[in-house]
Amino acid sequence: MNIIIKIFTAIFYNILSKPEFFMGLLVFVGYLLLKKRILEALAGALKATIGYMILQIGAGGMVKGFNPILNGLLKKYSLSASVIDSNFGFAAANSALEAAGRSLSSTMFVLLIGFAVNIVLVLLKKITKVRTLYTTGHIMVKQAGFITWMILFALPQLQDTVNIIIIGVLIGLYWAIFSNLTVEATQNLTEGERVFAVGHAQMLGIWITDKIAGKLGKKEDNVENINLPSNFKVLSDNIVGTSLVMLIMFGTVLLVLGQETMAEFDGGALKNISYISYVISKSLSFTVNFIILQTGVKMLVAEVTTSFDGISGKLLKGAIPAVDCAATYGFASSNTLIIGFLFGFLGQLVAILGLVVFRSPILIISGFVPLFFDNATLAVFANKRGGKRAAMIIPFVSGMTQVLLGAIGVMAFELAAYGGWYGNLDISTIWLPFGIIIKNLSIIGVILVGIIMLIIPQIQYHRNKENYF
Amino acid sequence: MYKVLAACGAGIGSSMIIKKKIKNVFDKLGLEVEITHESLGTAQSSMDKYDIVFTLAALAENFPKDSKNVVGLKNIMSEGEIEEAVHRILEV
Repeated sequence: MNIIIKIFTAIFYNILSKPEFFMGLLVFVGYLLLKKRILEALAGALKATIGYMILQIGAGGMVKGFNPILNGLLKKYSLSASVIDSNFGFAAANSALEAAGRSLSSTMFVLLIGFAVNIVLVLLKKITKVRTLYTTGHIMVKQAGFITWMILFALPQLQDTVNIIIIGVLIGLYWAIFSNLTVEATQNLTEGERVFAVGHAQMLGIWITDKIAGKLGKKEDNVENINLPSNFKVLSDNIVGTSLVMLIMFGTVLLVLGQETMAEFDGGALKNISYISYVISKSLSFTVNFIILQTGVKMLVAEVTTSFDGISGKLLKGAIPAVDCAATYGFASSNTLIIGFLFGFLGQLVAILGLVVFRSPILIISGFVPLFFDNATLAVFANKRGGKRAAMIIPFVSGMTQVLLGAIGVMAFELAAYGGWYGNLDISTIWLPFGIIIKNLSIIGVILVGIIMLIIPQIQYHRNKENYF
Repeated sequence: MYKVLAACGAGIGSSMIIKKKIKNVFDKLGLEVEITHESLGTAQSSMDKYDIVFTLAALAENFPKDSKNVVGLKNIMSEGEIEEAVHRILEV
């Protein structure tokens, strides 16, 4: 008996508690189930493992690179700061989990449980009224990491295993129920075809946009009537867009902090170069870590999706796949994306200025992912129903929401020390209130949140029985 | 063996979906293919190495106007658009 426990403990500490090996193992098993050859399965497992290790380097680089700036802000202005971005949020949550002595593997267990819960909800669609399977792997990885921190923070008294199951079930409900909420909106966008739904991180925003955009403007007067300089389209290139946002945001912060403060906290990097040169290279280094993290996520997710596809494809005939929000960009022009991005940015800047003027203890710094992907996506849906007026107003309001709720989130979940908040709309509009409910009501809160989510598709079904399935 | 590229903003999400759809189309037509998925930035510099580049309609404008092998897809979940483009560009 003793020897079995020893073997099990060894497996746990050496494989299961190391997320990179755990994901590799998962991919290996997935490939074997798909009847791939052993060598192919091993190659897939290796790529998933390397992908996770690359991702960790990017995440670590972000937190480490931001640290001297955080210290500077704290010393000079007694300010905490956070970047509202899914990558920064993920990196911050990872650091927070590690500092609390948790293994990052727990986040991968949460992902697995969540995915399984979504599958079960679709299999029982006669009862649950859930039609969609959330398949956007790279978002699932980042959300599982971030939500694990939020709920662990809200339920510190529970045992780890219980917590992981609770978080997995809640996130699975979120993936299923809120992607299901985008079915009708997406169908309006694609003009009747029901081929996909959105599975990303602004699903509630999409639903609201679809409901209100028509009241904000005329759809005939659409964004094509706006003449944008053709150079603006380069902003939809992630590297260019991210670099620009980082240069504007971190450039401003670093220039305000000044050479003296930064020399104290980041002296090594400032040696022998001018301050301007330092500011530019420091700002761009965030793009670099962003790309490293994304590269890792891409490798990991490419393998995980392939190995998961076999499982979900066989189980779920007739489910609507909920996919990346960028899938909607086929039904839009580059004008729409840029209008959404620019007005979202404007909204964020106004809100950030508000934080500074009213002396908020937290400074929010814009990040690229929520800025572009939330606001461009909302603009696509807004333009379809309410034309250019809706495509400007909704992203503007969304941008302000991202900043203001982000600031509340950072304070409520104590992420200021790690400098990141998962800035996408769903996290701030859905998970922030859910997290606060759970923090205050504990297990009763968990049950309440679960019931709230389960009721949503029932209401949807009762309003539209004939065309629902 | 044809070489095909799927591109999207980040080179992670929708390009991964397009990649799977391309694979289905080529399998159906019985053509051998090697498919890569990349971000727009990478795709712009490496597009000449590929027989076809697939991307989303709204992002197609990021490629040079006169490039004949770039296809902007409206519905990335529909294999019909991909199949039509394969017949047209590869003349198979």
